[in-house]
Amino acid sequence: MMRVRGMEQGPTEFAEFYESSRDECLRIVLLNVGDRDLAHDLVAEAYTRAWMSWRKVRELEVPRAWVVRTALNTHVSWWRRRRHEVALGNHDVAIPAEQAAAVSGDLLAALWQLPARQREVVALRLLLDLDTETTARVLGIAPGTVGAHLHKAVATLRAAIPSRDSQEISI
Amino acid sequence: MKAADTVAVVRDSLTTARDSLSGVRMNTPPDVIARNGHARRRLHRLAGLTGAMAVFAGTALAVTALASSGHAASPGHTASHPRAARLAAWTVARQSGGDIKVTIRQLSDPAGLQSTLRADGVSASVTSTTQHDPSCRPYPMTQALFNSIYQAQNAAGSANSIFVIDPSALPSDAGVQIGAATGQQTVGYRGLHQTTVNQAVHDSRHQATARGHNIALRVGLVYASQQCTGS
Repeated sequence: MMRVRGMEQGPTEFAEFYESSRDECLRIVLLNVGDRDLAHDLVAEAYTRAWMSWRKVRELEVPRAWVVRTALNTHVSWWRRRRHEVALGNHDVAIPAEQAAAVSGDLLAALWQLPARQREVVALRLLLDLDTETTARVLGIAPGTVGAHLHKAVATLRAAIPSRDSQEISI
Repeated sequence: MKAADTVAVVRDSLTTARDSLSGVRMNTPPDVIARNGHARRRLHRLAGLTGAMAVFAGTALAVTALASSGHAASPGHTASHPRAARLAAWTVARQSGGDIKVTIRQLSDPAGLQSTLRADGVSASVTSTTQHDPSCRPYPMTQALFNSIYQAQNAAGSANSIFVIDPSALPSDAGVQIGAATGQQTVGYRGLHQTTVNQAVHDSRHQATARGHNIALRVGLVYASQQCTGS
């Protein structure tokens, strides 16, 4: 990201970052929480915090990873504060039916039931496509730990994906 | 199937799921985000000012009360030493960037500090002893993670322990832990330093009290749970 100086360029730089990253971040958070309005609120909250801490956030290696992580952590905080039971077993997703056609309900349900840290790793490694080292630095954990979390998460998620090659051929 | 293939299958499925949401857009204009940020900054400044005034008012009241009550000498005995003014044991203030600044003069009323941190959205376990809370499990903490969460702030000659917590850096399954450090943990150190894999010690060594006790805090991470951190 090009670094610019001067207070008058800060708002422009944030606006450019926001424009270029907001849709992707929203979609990743939506996959993780399953509710469109909730995802929108979480992402708006994350970007508001990013704006307030822009001097710090703009210096990060991957600012959009900070936004996604903040949104997911905010979800957990809000849930804990309200003491609501998360409908982990609920496969209903507030995503328009035509858009959900390609989405496996089992896959999303499995994603929602992952521990918070594994979901973070999945979001950064697989959806934001960060490498292991970068993910480790963003999360403040060791690369080996990233690998361990990813391994467990992938094993769980893989089991939820229907096999494409399930037909046996007899010769 | 090889591990790399498994990751690829899961990645493909998730990215397909994400791409299927191409019609989903974040429609909030950037100037609305900025306006919300401005408004929240104003609120934080006001809250910080109010908190500081409340602390100052509390201190002034305490001094006034002590000064007016004085100390009645018992018949036949000379008056004792004038009492020192009582200051607030700790304060918690939310900064404009969302960080939480904690100033601790002495670790009394740990339950109050714990409640205040939790009310500010920080899962926390606070004790005034050197003993670990048995209901808490230590959370593995790398130096990088520690540095991203805690930052020490000490003015030269300050008698207080001051550190800043970044709640956004806190893992979602972790909470902060604050307690007293043992003498061994502070020997030879100043400032904030990591002593074990999941805790650090903040040593604001000074001669603040009349008895010459040093004040050292132990800060670290624990797994968040209802019993330990209240969430």
